[in-house]
Amino acid sequence: MKIAVTGVTGYIGICFAKWAVSEGHEIVALSRRRPELVACDWIPYELSSKQALALPIDTDAVLHLAMIKSPNDQLDGAQEVLAAGLLVQAAQKVSAKFIFVSSQTARSDAPTAYGRIKWRIEQIVLAASGWVVRPGQVYGGMPRGLFGELVKLVQRLSVLPAFMPAPKVQPIHVDDLAAGLLRIAERADIRPGVLCLASPEPVSFTDFLHAIARNRLRLCRCFFPVPALIISTAIRLVREPLRTRTGLERLRSLFDLTVMNTASDLQRLGLQLRPLSSGMHPAGSARRRHLLVEGHALLSYVLRAQPGNAMLGRYVRAIEKLRGGVVLALPGPFVWWPALLALIDRGNRTETAWDKEFLWRLDAATVLAEASPLGARVFLGMGERDGFMGSLFWIARAIAFEASWRILSVSFAPITRVVLPRALAERQ
Amino acid sequence: MKPDFDIIIVGSGPAGVSVAFPLVDAGLRVLMVDGGKKPGVLPPEADFLSARTNDAEQWKWMVGEDFHALKKRDAVSPKLRVPSHAYAFEEFETRNQVVGKNFITAGSLATGGLSNAWGCGVARFSAEEMADFPFPATELDVSYARVSQRMGISGKVDDDMSDYFGLDEYSQSPIPLDALHTHLSQRYLNRRKKLNSLGFRLGRSRVAVLSEDVAVRQACNLSGNCLWGCRRHSMYSSTDDLLGLRKHENFSELSGFVVDGLTRYDGYWAAEGQTTSGGELRSITAGKIVLAAGTLATTRIVLKTLNHRRPVPLLSCPTAAFLLWLPRLLGAPRTPGFGLGQLSFSLDIQDNITAFGSTFATTGITLSEFVRHVPLRRRYGIDLLRGLLSSCVVGNLFLPGHLTAAEAELQSDASLSVTGKYCDAVVPLMDEAAKKLRKAFWSLGAVLLPGSFTVGRPGGDIHYVGTLPMRESPSPGETSPRGEVEGLDGIFVVDGACLPTLSEKSHTLTIMANADRIGRKLAACNESRQGEVS
Repeated sequence: MKIAVTGVTGYIGICFAKWAVSEGHEIVALSRRRPELVACDWIPYELSSKQALALPIDTDAVLHLAMIKSPNDQLDGAQEVLAAGLLVQAAQKVSAKFIFVSSQTARSDAPTAYGRIKWRIEQIVLAASGWVVRPGQVYGGMPRGLFGELVKLVQRLSVLPAFMPAPKVQPIHVDDLAAGLLRIAERADIRPGVLCLASPEPVSFTDFLHAIARNRLRLCRCFFPVPALIISTAIRLVREPLRTRTGLERLRSLFDLTVMNTASDLQRLGLQLRPLSSGMHPAGSARRRHLLVEGHALLSYVLRAQPGNAMLGRYVRAIEKLRGGVVLALPGPFVWWPALLALIDRGNRTETAWDKEFLWRLDAATVLAEASPLGARVFLGMGERDGFMGSLFWIARAIAFEASWRILSVSFAPITRVVLPRALAERQ
Repeated sequence: MKPDFDIIIVGSGPAGVSVAFPLVDAGLRVLMVDGGKKPGVLPPEADFLSARTNDAEQWKWMVGEDFHALKKRDAVSPKLRVPSHAYAFEEFETRNQVVGKNFITAGSLATGGLSNAWGCGVARFSAEEMADFPFPATELDVSYARVSQRMGISGKVDDDMSDYFGLDEYSQSPIPLDALHTHLSQRYLNRRKKLNSLGFRLGRSRVAVLSEDVAVRQACNLSGNCLWGCRRHSMYSSTDDLLGLRKHENFSELSGFVVDGLTRYDGYWAAEGQTTSGGELRSITAGKIVLAAGTLATTRIVLKTLNHRRPVPLLSCPTAAFLLWLPRLLGAPRTPGFGLGQLSFSLDIQDNITAFGSTFATTGITLSEFVRHVPLRRRYGIDLLRGLLSSCVVGNLFLPGHLTAAEAELQSDASLSVTGKYCDAVVPLMDEAAKKLRKAFWSLGAVLLPGSFTVGRPGGDIHYVGTLPMRESPSPGETSPRGEVEGLDGIFVVDGACLPTLSEKSHTLTIMANADRIGRKLAACNESRQGEVS
């Protein structure tokens, strides 16, 4: 499919474009500058333009993500609505689906201008039989958008406010949202209308911040209670533009959120959202994080050095692509001290299915580790002059270490032969 | 009705281009069709070791963005794991409906066929080796000369392998040896007599790799990228010959068309098949059809057209590989060098059985390829090889093709099933070969590393031959001395399928020479007919 996207360089836009391209779709970026992060066609486009736009004739869908940042004055709002109208017309001209990503706060009587503008655009889109998506609290991936600000905040402040009573948010991982948006574009059986995409179970805002601290940043953060009443009073007393400057405007939206019923929409799209604790990991999921840990252990064992992020990413992608993304479940000590893998690594002897899989992954780690300048240095001694003595040293050293590990393996046999298989069986 | 072409050649590999030249030169309207696979991943630009040292993106050509090398982890040869060669092998079995049972079946749908990823080994079959060919060995002389000169062969030197290869009169000077091979060949000169009495002869490998520039192809610059692909086109690929064929107006090409069957009409033939891109069915007609699709694919087409349901024999060379260590050169610096066969040997094992093999530098091969076979923990296996491998060369060994008992049989679903195993004699022969090689190389100062001599899996040589052998008086399922299929007048087989015997030597050059011979015969036959008409 050919999908035209506004706001392709934004938080959701990048994730969507990458996902769509990897699924074999073609992206046409409607943006001011040519996007660099994704391979796509480009049509120069300004949200502030009052001119009609011509889309490629074979465009199948238009995804409208762009917005004017902090549209406070009436003028910006009107322009944003006008731009959306022009886009809808352009999509109609080429008979493309129109998908608009709105906001949970969209309401005709929303307390913020943001929410009211989104509502006005929604009306235009719905009138043109388009699709409106109201995502919950988007998180994960590159820390950008509101999520990015929250991550920064949690990073900076060691004590965080816990509003009482706490506002509720309905999180959705940015990759899950991207997948949902693509499904709307792809599928013919989703009727036009409003779709609410977020976790059906709201979590308290405090828990959300806590998840950022613990799972994303691996930091310990204290919370002190702040009565929500104080904030709502402050919001009422402070006037624009001070409200925006102090961030109170953002909080205002937060306090105004009503719970969305998302279960039926998720079901219609067949979209299964990852749990917050899993999605909040920088890797995007707990499974992927475990694969990174596994890759780190195996690559460090092979390289005797830290594998770079790029190499780790390759390992994870290879396992996801060729081994169904299944985690090997190495017990902790092997992860903390990769050298200990010498206890499990028994050359080419494979007795159980787990042994075989371990050997496959060790081979994969060896191949991936070698295919790098670091690998060339470690495996071939490139850039170092080993010479006769040096080579002799490496050979002697290898044999000495191998012998020691063989002796150690015998003494550790009760652990490696009995305890370890049991631990592995349990973990699986 | 006038057919679309005089001749359709199925396949653009070494056999296809070799048969094409004489036909095109004779003015016949020739169409060449092939599976149309084209290279995707480019080999490194810099020499191998520089690329390894500096190229942060080396994983793209070493492993592949689709992790090709990992996908093919269990493939028989490192070559099958190289991302830049993936296109040469992909989809061959599915598209051509070839199924190997306990037998490796490889082939190519690429333009240029398997010559995109071959070892460039060339040799001439001796008169004895051609005893079972239904024509005098001298009939191939002209063809050997024509084909060798067109390909560009190097390795000309007066040594103990000169007669064995029999190609020096058409060859360029040899490509320089690396330090390890220089050491081996010097030691050999001092111990020749003793080794010859053991039945061991050593000399330069004769390879279809340029040591001098020829037209657009450049001479080998010892970049060490042989395994990964040569940007200089020093290594022969039949795609290089396509440039020459395209100069002729009477030569046409249809790339991306896999022939599935042949149908006879009144006085002409139709090649029927599918396009690889759209799966569109097509039928193209010609007076004659020449099959050069590679032994397995050609065999299936012929058996299907004949509706021949009995198994046909398949010859394939049993193989082995081994690692030699030269202790005197321990710690030799890794230097870029030629990555294909540098020295070749012949080894008499029994009265009438000779083994052939070559030795290669280990520099251009990844260490991962070796470390899997080292019986050490991975971390220490790597350390061991880091010290050891720069003073090692790797060798291979081939036995004559009749020592594999294999068969190809057309199944009811029109697929070709290939089964086979080594003959019982192979185990003792390999043991004997290992023993003799250990002894021979020991006296050359090289240790055949214990446990490294590994016998390959049946079919792993990818030297498949003899399913539709040329015979003086062919029975059904065989071919005439011109490669014409018995019972299918106008259908000719010019690839490995029609060779009646397979010696231990590299067989590609002989396939090419035979294709050239058949091409010249067809061209001559056409001329005489034209003569009759006028």
